[in-house]
Amino acid sequence: MDASAAAANLEWGECLVPLAPVPPALQAEVRSAVGAVPGWLARLAPSPWLVRALCEIIKRPFAHAPLEVCDLVTLVVSQENSCRYCYGVQRAVLKIFGQRDEHIDALVRDAQVSQLTPAARAALDLARRLTRANPRPGGGDFEALVRAGFSRPAAAEIVFAAAANALTNRVGTLLALPPEPLVSFVASPVFRFVRPLLAWRMRRRPRAPEPAPRPDDGPCAEVVAALDGSPAAGVLRRAIDGAWASDVLPRRTKTLMLAVIARALGCAHGEGEARRFLTAEGLAPAELDEILTNLGSRRLDAREARLVPFARETARYQPAAIQRRMRELARGLSPEEVLEAVGIAALANAICRMSVVIDAC
Amino acid sequence: MLIAAAALAAVVVALSLRLRRTRRTAAALEERLAAAARGLESLQQAFARFAPAEVVEDIIAQGVSTRPEKKEVTVLFADLKDFTSLAEHLDPDVLVRILNGYFERMSRAITDHRGHVAKFIGDGILALFGALEANPWQTNDAAHAALAMRAALADYNAALGGEGLPALAMGVGIHRGTVVAGVIGSAELVEYGVIGSAVNLASRVQELTRAHAVDILVTAVVRHALDPRFALRALPPLEVKGLPAAVATFAVDGFEGPALAVSR
Repeated sequence: MDASAAAANLEWGECLVPLAPVPPALQAEVRSAVGAVPGWLARLAPSPWLVRALCEIIKRPFAHAPLEVCDLVTLVVSQENSCRYCYGVQRAVLKIFGQRDEHIDALVRDAQVSQLTPAARAALDLARRLTRANPRPGGGDFEALVRAGFSRPAAAEIVFAAAANALTNRVGTLLALPPEPLVSFVASPVFRFVRPLLAWRMRRRPRAPEPAPRPDDGPCAEVVAALDGSPAAGVLRRAIDGAWASDVLPRRTKTLMLAVIARALGCAHGEGEARRFLTAEGLAPAELDEILTNLGSRRLDAREARLVPFARETARYQPAAIQRRMRELARGLSPEEVLEAVGIAALANAICRMSVVIDAC
Repeated sequence: MLIAAAALAAVVVALSLRLRRTRRTAAALEERLAAAARGLESLQQAFARFAPAEVVEDIIAQGVSTRPEKKEVTVLFADLKDFTSLAEHLDPDVLVRILNGYFERMSRAITDHRGHVAKFIGDGILALFGALEANPWQTNDAAHAALAMRAALADYNAALGGEGLPALAMGVGIHRGTVVAGVIGSAELVEYGVIGSAVNLASRVQELTRAHAVDILVTAVVRHALDPRFALRALPPLEVKGLPAAVATFAVDGFEGPALAVSR
């Protein structure tokens, strides 16, 4: 069984969120951003910040890192996370760019057997380590990328590419998003005739460097600042600000989820940021210690008492098990709350994974 | 001219045949390589249940692991009470079936709470929490696993009773401490294991469940690290083999909160 067949056979439940009406303005925004209306839009539309974050990630916000390496990172991280949705889409994208199935399989199995440059191999090695987070990656992994030949801004973008997929994979897997029509289309006989046109439309275009947003004083500003010079900095800033500004879940609940995920991944910076914001929200340090030590407290409201232990489970998981757990969690939550909880958990995983590698800790 | 053309054609045909053969050989080699890689990958995934991922990678790459390391882990020892005398009265097939059913249920309770079964020792189980991956909640996980084991054993006993078979009684001891973890053994037989006084103490605490007539006991170190929502009962310190001072233990009566089932 090749890797694509293996991915297709992964246990994958029914999508956790129903189809929702898409506001025409949001649909137009997505179409303009990614050139099409993806199937997930009708599932994620109730969470505009999440939709916008995904669109910005899909657009490859990279000015320094080679885009073909970033695409490979996306594939490898999706495979490591066993995200059937993202893996299928990324495989289809690589096929559109002319990669053969055998070559993609070889890449997924082991970077060493394929015809990759040492720098690309180092990027995929980092992507795997960041995704597994066992043991926790660190600043040494970033330096390894630099030694392999990437400039520091390019290395930061590669870390972002891997971390951003921690986000997209969690959205795809936790919500059990159904496969995109594109995945079956690349297997159809028509595909070979339209492939060049699709490849031209989706061609990789590096973006111009951009300074980090100023002022950058929102949550996790140091992680954003580490991407200075890359369009990814603005993407991350807008995603964090959008998530924290959304009023579907209280800011305190979201920050508690960040704190738990930071602790699960050994990210002192993320936990410190969460502490700073929670203190401002009126939560005493001793109370937070109790919550983080026991993943529960009488001071949590009923919804937090469910979301706090759940956040921990999103750090490392098996797809079938986390989807079962998601179904339990979704009972009693509105689809908007489910989307927000998944989006926050996914974003926090991305921030903390990135933070430990770029040495913001 | 004709002869030269014929010779050229023959050379072209011969080269084409050679090229085809080479391509076929290359394809066959590629397929064998792919099959070997798939086998290696599934082996790696299987091994990851028994040893940390980096240890598995070492073994695959070099044949050995050079990573013995000190780790803080939570050790859970479980043993069946009076099983030896029970074993003497049961048919061997029934005995093994009962034991396998017990191991299966207990292992599930342990892995559901992010622990891993390090080994079965007779009718005993050595489980570790925080050994395969860093786990800041390892002690709570171990205690939740013990409660899940208690519930699973109650269900199992009900099923055994339905078949007219005797009920099982279990003792669980939990301790937290630093151990040396690594690949240990001889050239013929190696395993990923842990050694250290923390392992011995967990075993001794498990033995104390008989003296205290309880099923789950934890040490003072564990009590200190545990969520206060666990209902604990202090028991009088008792001497154990190999330690100069009596050991204070606490019976775990329950958990006053929602069960934290963990997906794995």
